[in-house]
Parts: sequence; structure tokens; C-alpha cells
Amino acid sequence: MDQRAILDHQFTVAAYAVTWAIQLGYLLWLGFKWRAQRSEMSRTARSPR
Amino acid sequence: MKKLGLGLYAALTAALLAWGFYQAIYVAPDEQTMHEVQRIFYYHVPSAMTAFLFFAISLAGSIGFLALRRDHPQRAQVADAWAVAGAEVGVVFCTVVLITGPMWGRRAWGIWWTWDARLTTTLVLWLLYVSYLLLRRFAAGPQMQTLAAVLGVFAALDVPIVYMSTRWWRTQHPAPVFGGGPDSGIKDPAMLHAFVWNIAAWLAWGLLILVLRYRLERQHQQLIARQAQAALEEI
Repeated sequence: MDQRAILDHQFTVAAYAVTWAIQLGYLLWLGFKWRAQRSEMSRTARSPR
Repeated sequence: MKKLGLGLYAALTAALLAWGFYQAIYVAPDEQTMHEVQRIFYYHVPSAMTAFLFFAISLAGSIGFLALRRDHPQRAQVADAWAVAGAEVGVVFCTVVLITGPMWGRRAWGIWWTWDARLTTTLVLWLLYVSYLLLRRFAAGPQMQTLAAVLGVFAALDVPIVYMSTRWWRTQHPAPVFGGGPDSGIKDPAMLHAFVWNIAAWLAWGLLILVLRYRLERQHQQLIARQAQAALEEI
């Protein structure tokens, strides 16, 4: 494998990895936000009126 | 039943993403001039298409909110939830576009970035929608949703400018795959298959997270309404 092919391969792997990191990171953030909001909802429902 | 449907859809999306990845990496042949780095295109272009679609959903939601906010406040909240979900998920996809594009450019053009019309208008689009999300995050008061909806409508005006930029100005960016003229497009059927599978896969993934983000926003609206009700009852 020549130098150019190695660099091409590394850039392609990096681009795919970054795409997955962004998408899965966002999904994870949605999950955390969902959980925090659920507990806030149940706290609001429990609070005395 | 809803959960089962969502689970099945998520499983189908995961299968599509795996199949799209396999097609892009193992089935599609190397492009003659750009070689392996051209495979970035199978993630970059579907992400751009999905971002455009979600910005269109955000535009429809913003217009719906502005049209319904006085006479149908409940329906206006639904429209607003679609607007914020479309903008946020669109920004996620646009971020992928703005990162994978320069990675391809570094190998194909020898530079990470150039102030080319397509690249610049895409960056402006991203900045507009990030400012929309920041406005929603930090502005308070009853006018926030209206201001955000107006900004959402203006931000969407950049989408056709981004799409047409390669026609209106002399740019380094490759012509669009669809409708870009006789010299553009994908000639190799194996490359076309990989591209179409990845469009389907990323669109399916995008719709999944769009629906999750929409439901999160509806839940947030309910929480705000409950807190406001509780505060009123305390007075």
C-alpha cells in the first residue's frame, strides 16, 4: 500500500467514525434529556398543591 | 403497540444502516481519480439530503405555528414541536456534512476549507439554525416561540440558495448527483446502489430520531404547562 492509499483509507475511516460518533452521541443526549424530563414530570405530579 | 412499532422500525433502520455500510465499503468499486476517499460521499451526500428535508419540516412547523397560534393554540404547539425537532435533527445532519466534506476536500483538493459558494452557504445555513436553537434555549417569555418561528422561516430561505449555489456561482464543489446536468451523476450501477441504500438508511435513521425529538418536545410542553398550572394554583 502506498502512502496516498494509506492516507485515503485513514481519512475515510475517520469520516465514517465521526459520522457515527455525532449520530450516536445525539441519540445518547436525547436519552439523557428524556430521562431527566421524566423524573421532572413525576416530581411535578407528586408536588403538593 | 406503539412501542412495538417503534422497536420494529428501529430494527429495520439498524439493518438498513448495516446494509448501506456494507454496500459503501465492500460492494461499490473504487472511483478512478479519487480512489477510496470517494466513499465519504456515501455518508456525506445522504446526510445533506436528510438535513435539507428536516429543515423543510422545520419550515412547515414554523409556518404552521405562526398561522395557528391565535385560533388553535393546541395545534400550534404541535407545529412548534415539529419545527424545533426538524431544526435540531437537521443541525445534527448538517454538522456531519460540514465535517465529512472538509475531510474529503483535504484529500481531493489538498485543502480543508475554501470560501467557495456551496461551502460558505452551507456554513451560513448551519449558523442560522444554531442561532435558532440558541434563541429557543436562552430566550424566555411568551414571544419566544413566535420569534423562533420567524427566524425558522428566514433560515429556511438559505436551503434553496445552498442547493442552487453550484449553478449560480462558479464553485469547486462537485455538481449535484440528481439534476446536475449531463456530466454529473453516478454512472456505475454498483456505486448508484450503494448511494441509494445509504440515502434510504440515513433517511430512516433521521426519521427515527426526528420522531424521538418530537416526542421529547411534546413532553417538555406538557411539563411547562403543568408547572404553569401548579404556579397558578399556588397564587
